[in-house]
Amino acid sequence: MMNLIGIVGTNSDQSTNRQLLEFMQKHFAEKANIELYEIKNLPAFNKPRDTTAPPEVQDLSDKIKEADGVIISTPEYNHSVPAILKSTLEWLSYTTQPLIDKPVMITGASYGRLGSSRAQSHLRQILDAPELKARIMPSSEFLVGLSLQAFDEDGKLADPNKVQELEEIFNEFIQFVDITKQLVKTNPNKNKSKSFSWEKN
Amino acid sequence: MKIVGIVGSNAEFSYNRLLLNFIAKNLKNLVDVEVLDIDEVPMFNQSDDQTNSEPIQYLNKKIVEADGVIIATPEYNHSIPSALQSVLEWLSFKIHPLDGKPVMIVGASYDVQGSSRSQLHLRQILDAPGVNAVVMPGNEFLLGEVHQAFDEDENLKDASTVQFLESCIKKFIRFINVVTIIDSPEGMKDVSSTEDLYATGKIDTTIEGVDMEAEDWVEQAAEAVGAVEGDTYVKLDRGILTVNQLNYFLKSMPAELTYADSNNQFLYYNRMYEAEDMLASRTPAQVGNPLAKCHPERTYSGVAWVIQQLRKGKEDVVRAHVPTHGPDKFVVHSYQAIRDEEGNYLGINEYVQDIKPIIDWYLKQTGQQLTGGDVDAVSGATEKVDTVSGATAQD
Ligand SMILES: Cc1cc2nc3c(=O)[nH]c(=O)nc-3n(C[C@H](O)[C@H](O)[C@H](O)COP(=O)(O)O)c2cc1C
Ligand SMILES: Cc1cc2nc3c(=O)[nH]c(=O)nc-3n(C[C@H](O)[C@H](O)[C@H](O)COP(=O)(O)O)c2cc1C
Repeated sequence: MMNLIGIVGTNSDQSTNRQLLEFMQKHFAEKANIELYEIKNLPAFNKPRDTTAPPEVQDLSDKIKEADGVIISTPEYNHSVPAILKSTLEWLSYTTQPLIDKPVMITGASYGRLGSSRAQSHLRQILDAPELKARIMPSSEFLVGLSLQAFDEDGKLADPNKVQELEEIFNEFIQFVDITKQLVKTNPNKNKSKSFSWEKN
Repeated sequence: MKIVGIVGSNAEFSYNRLLLNFIAKNLKNLVDVEVLDIDEVPMFNQSDDQTNSEPIQYLNKKIVEADGVIIATPEYNHSIPSALQSVLEWLSFKIHPLDGKPVMIVGASYDVQGSSRSQLHLRQILDAPGVNAVVMPGNEFLLGEVHQAFDEDENLKDASTVQFLESCIKKFIRFINVVTIIDSPEGMKDVSSTEDLYATGKIDTTIEGVDMEAEDWVEQAAEAVGAVEGDTYVKLDRGILTVNQLNYFLKSMPAELTYADSNNQFLYYNRMYEAEDMLASRTPAQVGNPLAKCHPERTYSGVAWVIQQLRKGKEDVVRAHVPTHGPDKFVVHSYQAIRDEEGNYLGINEYVQDIKPIIDWYLKQTGQQLTGGDVDAVSGATEKVDTVSGATAQD
């Protein structure tokens, strides 16, 4: 079975994005092992002189390297991605670069009606930067708007249409992970071998 | 004009800091720029509110007091650095100092594109309803390949770059002026000319023959009219007090009081404290000045507007919350019309109060609480967001 890492894109104690990933973990238990990952204990990135990864970052990096794919669920703060998630990605790009060529699925939940669409579009652009270069699943936006009302007491997504939509996207993602593996094997990312770095170039 | 420049990086060394320092140093004939760092600001966390911490309050105060803000952003992974993002999250969570504030974006990065992508993200973020800054359109100042841009003295090497930077700053100054006028309640129109703020006119009580701007105007004017003082009795409606009693009485008022007459001359304040200890500072030498001398020029339109409301009888009082005092105070300036029995406008009683102790006392006495605790506070940002997303969904 496929092993996936689900990154909770916030350091908040209460999070509808965490709820969403927990729901996916349970709902898709037959199809994949999804391990949730919390980023709240990662230090804040500050471009240190030393480019070795702090232990918490190394830990996340190892998990990503071993996983077949990554799901990132992002809140929306000020039409963008929360600072803590950005900081996590800065660490990864600055040190071990484990996301290069890694299949990534983006999900998001927000209190507003638009359900993190703007944050997701920023996240796509960020993951496309040369030091991250993830393989982001195309044409697949899964968003939960008005997220405070979206889950029932058992943590299940209340709207059956939403559940179906999520199932379709998730099934596609499973295939996308396989296809990407093929693609990467035959066309490895050029940056990967060179290990692109802004600071060295 | 007072500007704060925010360094969008928390790194020990930053080219964006050099860029702001260069602006502060080289364009000081145009603007007064104070460069602020963000490295002390903690990572934003919705469930650990640190809005009241020193670094955030410091930034808040500086931004609120400034006429405009320049943000210099690096580019990290095609976006703005998390450190800057975190600052903007704090400044849109419980407090909103950038609301309505003119902002100019500049940026330096290693790529030839010089932070163009991060500048675009920053624009979108500053536009979000919780931040709601007024970002200057166009004029992206992008400094690409920044590791080659400065000489040993930390000056920009390229003369045409310096020239462009200067033209951007000039444009920003004009932009700030325009935004200030738009924000004044009458819309685009500058209404400063509706009031004689230099007090060139004369009313029955105007004391003539004394220079209004003299530091000892009070002493000179008192001599000119033979003003009484000390233990002399004055008859009032309704009672009799000595001038001393009247003074102590006014100084015991729970507010800073200021009297400006209908000729827009500043005649009196109940001097309880030294200027620096006042909620709205006044100095003894200012008394007698025309109002134009008591306010910065950019506020003339707003001042004139307030006086017009009172003079024309549209309002009896105009209030404004002044948020520069930090979270422990809620300072309100009330401009109360002073009128005679016939309702003729005689001037303004401006009283300045911190009303927080009164509200706290009221809540304690009645056992009530303000709503807007932890959960609600988050939706504070959210409510605003919702309204806007609602509007977006419609179009
Ligand atoms: C600083 C701040 C900014 C926010 N900005 C937005 C926003 O732009 N759009 C939105 O839908 N919700 C916004 N919110 C509200 C929610 O935090 C957001 O909807 C989030 O995606 C909820 O995810 P969570 O339940 O996983 O925390 C903001 C909240 C904070 C604290
Ligand atoms: C994590 C990370 C990601 C970066 N991503 C980009 C990028 O996408 N585009 C770019 O032009 N430079 C990028 N850089 C290089 C920055 O432009 C460079 O560090 C620059 O000096 C930042 O400005 P500062 O000196 O003011 O911190 C990146 C640097 C770091 C540390």
